Amino acid sequence: MMGIKEVLLALVLVGVAFGISFLKKLDLEKELLIGTLRSFIQLIAVGYALELVFDLNNLWLILLVILIMVLVGGQTAGSRTKGSLKGFTISSFSIGVGTFFTLGGLLLLGVINADPKYIIPLAGMTIGNSTTASALALERMHSEMKNKKDQIEQALSLGVPSSQAVEHSFRATARAAMIPTLNLMKIVGLVQLPGAMTGMILAGASPLQAVKLQIIVVYMLICAVSIAAVITARLSQSTYFTRYHQLIIS
Amino acid sequence: MFKIELKKVSRKRTVKKGNDSIEMEVLKGVNLSVQPEEICTILGPSGSGKSTLLRLINRLEEVSSGSICLDGVDINELEILSLRKRVSLVFQVPVMFDGKVEDNLRFGLKISDENSEQEMKKCLNLVGLDSNFLKRDSQELSIGERQRVSLARTLMHKPEVLLLDEPTSALDPTATQQIEKLIKDLNQELKLTIIFVTHNISQAQRLGHKCVILIDGEKVEEGESQVVLQNPDNPLSQKFIRGELVKEEK
Repeated sequence: MMGIKEVLLALVLVGVAFGISFLKKLDLEKELLIGTLRSFIQLIAVGYALELVFDLNNLWLILLVILIMVLVGGQTAGSRTKGSLKGFTISSFSIGVGTFFTLGGLLLLGVINADPKYIIPLAGMTIGNSTTASALALERMHSEMKNKKDQIEQALSLGVPSSQAVEHSFRATARAAMIPTLNLMKIVGLVQLPGAMTGMILAGASPLQAVKLQIIVVYMLICAVSIAAVITARLSQSTYFTRYHQLIIS
Repeated sequence: MFKIELKKVSRKRTVKKGNDSIEMEVLKGVNLSVQPEEICTILGPSGSGKSTLLRLINRLEEVSSGSICLDGVDINELEILSLRKRVSLVFQVPVMFDGKVEDNLRFGLKISDENSEQEMKKCLNLVGLDSNFLKRDSQELSIGERQRVSLARTLMHKPEVLLLDEPTSALDPTATQQIEKLIKDLNQELKLTIIFVTHNISQAQRLGHKCVILIDGEKVEEGESQVVLQNPDNPLSQKFIRGELVKEEK
């Protein structure tokens, strides 16, 4: 069991990074100090909040926590686009659908118990990965529209609907958004020992137990990420057209 | 009844200059009428609004004021996708979609394979290409071949009006001559109404029954090609035809 003493001892490592920055004149000392304090405070606060949620074990409270996580994910992904309100709405919806569908599926299939100790950490992983996928989809769709403007307008001028004119871009966007998770599936266990598995092993679980959970996590992530990527790509594509199938991009 | 009629058509566009957004009038109250089966050339220096005019007829953009009629009916009252099939736009730089020539010709069509094969051969034949081209990779075609395939792709939709946006500007003199002959043939054989945008005065003389000169978004001259191009009334047209206006481009 780790105590505050062990946490404080780990600060020595931050001291090493601080020393490197000072000696090599990287000018990162202030940022390192703020980052260290911020991560400490944030994680301690989250720890207490989770303790409370786990103790109360209330379904509505769990849903509220997940909803807040989804909205933060949506804001992070959406802020990368110019029309950030639209981006926020699209990302939040996509991440939300992916997360609730995946977790709901795991609960219905009886793979996990309706226990906040399972649901909240799994939701965190799902939302984190879906946020990356959604952000990638928004960015890729924007560059597709910009770089393939001539091709899209050529298709539109032939009298095809905008959904058909951007079908190629939609597929490229959804694929690009899923690549990080697909890569994770390929290297998991060989190159990278993922967080959930590492955490369980460090907490004393047997590696086989940890691996089983990790397999569930990977399958869950690919499902949630596919949903978030496809919905983000589809919804964002429609924001580039008028109702008369005219491309609007500067 | 006119095939195409523009009534006081204006188009404003917002352009960014540094940090400021400026509203520019690309077309200023243009009136234009084109008879059925007529070849009308739109002539003018770069930036005079020629391409915008074609985009407005195809409704890739909306008019800011005024109206455009096809066979006496305001194009805003027509279903936009069928309008674009009736009034097809061929771009200056031909864009090929991924795949073979046959994939490009079939793009956006809902016809059976048997019928489409015959139609495709017929359209290729009309643009002077043999049926072996069907299996060619569209990305490996020369620019001249691409322009022909682009024309054939448009013809697959059985348009009533062809809008050609400087289709020979990227071609060598031989290919230009071939495309010009092809356009005349299409006009005669298929009874197509053609609006041909060019900045080349001798090309307008060779091709057009009628010629319109656009300068800085305004129609400054309209009439029979031979008359307009040999004895222009307007001082700006005279300057343009003498090649003096090009130097004044912004």
